[in-house]
Amino acid sequence: MVMRKWFLLPARAVMAALFVAPMAIVAAYSLLTRGAYGGQGAPWTLENYARLLDPLYAGIAVKSFWIAGVSTAVCLAMGFPLALFIARARSRKALWLGLVTLPFWTSFLVRTYAWMFLLRDTGLVNTLLLGLGVIREPLPLLYNDSAVVLGLVYGYLPFMVLPVYAVLEKMDGALLEAAGDLGARPWEVVWRVVLPLAKPGLAAGGVLVFIPCLGAYLTPDLMGGGKSILIGNVIQNQFTTARDWPFGAALSVVLMAMVMALAWVARRRGGEGGLP
Amino acid sequence: MKRRDLFFMGLAGAAGCRRAARRLYVYNWSEYVAPETVPGFEREFGVEVRYAEYESNEEMLAKVFTGNSGWDVVFPSNYFIPPLVENGLLAPLDHARLPELAHLGLDSTPWDGELRHSMPYMKGAAGVLYNPRQMDVPESWAALWQSRVKGRITMLDDPADTLGAALKKSGLPLNATREEDLARARDELIRQKPLVRAYLNAEARDQVMAGDLAAAHLWTTTAMQAMGEAEHLRFVYPREGYAEYCDCGVILRESRNVELAHQFLRYLLRPEVGAKIAAYSRTATANAAAWRLLPAGLRENAALYPRGEVAARGEYFATLPAAAQKLRDRMWTEVKAA
Repeated sequence: MVMRKWFLLPARAVMAALFVAPMAIVAAYSLLTRGAYGGQGAPWTLENYARLLDPLYAGIAVKSFWIAGVSTAVCLAMGFPLALFIARARSRKALWLGLVTLPFWTSFLVRTYAWMFLLRDTGLVNTLLLGLGVIREPLPLLYNDSAVVLGLVYGYLPFMVLPVYAVLEKMDGALLEAAGDLGARPWEVVWRVVLPLAKPGLAAGGVLVFIPCLGAYLTPDLMGGGKSILIGNVIQNQFTTARDWPFGAALSVVLMAMVMALAWVARRRGGEGGLP
Repeated sequence: MKRRDLFFMGLAGAAGCRRAARRLYVYNWSEYVAPETVPGFEREFGVEVRYAEYESNEEMLAKVFTGNSGWDVVFPSNYFIPPLVENGLLAPLDHARLPELAHLGLDSTPWDGELRHSMPYMKGAAGVLYNPRQMDVPESWAALWQSRVKGRITMLDDPADTLGAALKKSGLPLNATREEDLARARDELIRQKPLVRAYLNAEARDQVMAGDLAAAHLWTTTAMQAMGEAEHLRFVYPREGYAEYCDCGVILRESRNVELAHQFLRYLLRPEVGAKIAAYSRTATANAAAWRLLPAGLRENAALYPRGEVAARGEYFATLPAAAQKLRDRMWTEVKAA
């Protein structure tokens, strides 16, 4: 038991230096007053939190939850069958898994720009559809909420597929055969056997997708063309154009509190230690 | 010799080197010098320049506001000069060591009196880049509020610029701080939002060039790049007025090379150096003597160097009080959330 303590020390030191300390600084900043030109200092105040009671920010929070929720739902709907397919594949498992993680080989920013080139008016999709005579006017594919959801789903789908795959891979194939032998139709096997078994993976994947989507600022900015604003963008603005670090810090603390509450709920309901 | 002694000798040597090698640390906007500018200075003065670039004032200020950034010379936009002075971060310019300031053709600026702390370097403004094949000259800001251009215009993704355009459209001052004025600008922008394809900065350039957009609210620097590659595009300053800014060279108080920093500013003020920079970066120089040396095509460019009645409509961004900044951020967030 003494050894265990020592083995955990490096991880503890890293967490303390790179996670707890910065978080404490953010929390402290959130209680300061913004200086005349964007610095921060005394007096200590709760005003930054009081500003959050403004319905404007509640509205933005609701919208952020909605976008993150839709993105997570789409990831679930796409990720579960894909994970099941890979887990049940007889060969080339490594290839399929490699393809799922392939996008990570290039930066997220570059990939998001690639999507913008595909979706813009003179982009590949519109040019193709116009050329085939399917449409007369370019479709407005970019710069709306659907584009934001598309960007988020694309970016975070692997985070859904991998944990679900990890759970399904360990699933005993005999259970499926037994279900079939006992008269379950294929969709019943999936619905009543596979899905309950995949639950811890789905819960973990859901959390891994929902949380980054909730705080996303790059995708809404680039794919949404700055026309819709999510919590992440409000925070980013406070640290850049608005130069109001204390308010940005307060927003970050609240966002983090919501995420922690959510993770806690997911953990309680996900059961069986499905979460890391 | 013991190991420890070697270590101390090394330290002494390093300290000596630091003093002997004359090195200047310059932090400037990207594309704001010609390729030969910095090497030319290094050669002539036998010094080394560590030169790095930034893309936004915020990026530079986050470092400079610590008072221990390591830079000697930086180039903030005019509206950040007063806060930098007030926070004691700038070294005063020694005019006796900068006789070339006369080349600027101006003795004072609205943001820094008689150039006590800042040397005007490059100027810019925000107007409208448009495609004459798709729309008439947007003589007024109202042209960007017409339903005819729905989905084919972009506005800058910058609260000061875009609230500024809406304020100008309403005949209000660019630097308005009163709540009712800002609320009016906000309402104008919310009314315009369904017509706006997106709020974009430099990214709008390619889309105007590709013909996706009929018009884009853009900075002159970006517009010049687009017009350089697509000659049919035009740039206009709407008649109600427009926003201007001026990036200025300053010496930081933390600098341990104040003398060399003055030499560098002197060098940048030379008309032939300034003209090469202005020609390369296709940005408007604040140096009148450098402007005179430019090729006629660039010198007469109406986007870079608006004249007479057009120039009179330009208004510089000013430093705003904290309450007004907060109010503006809220109005901007409301526009974005609408």
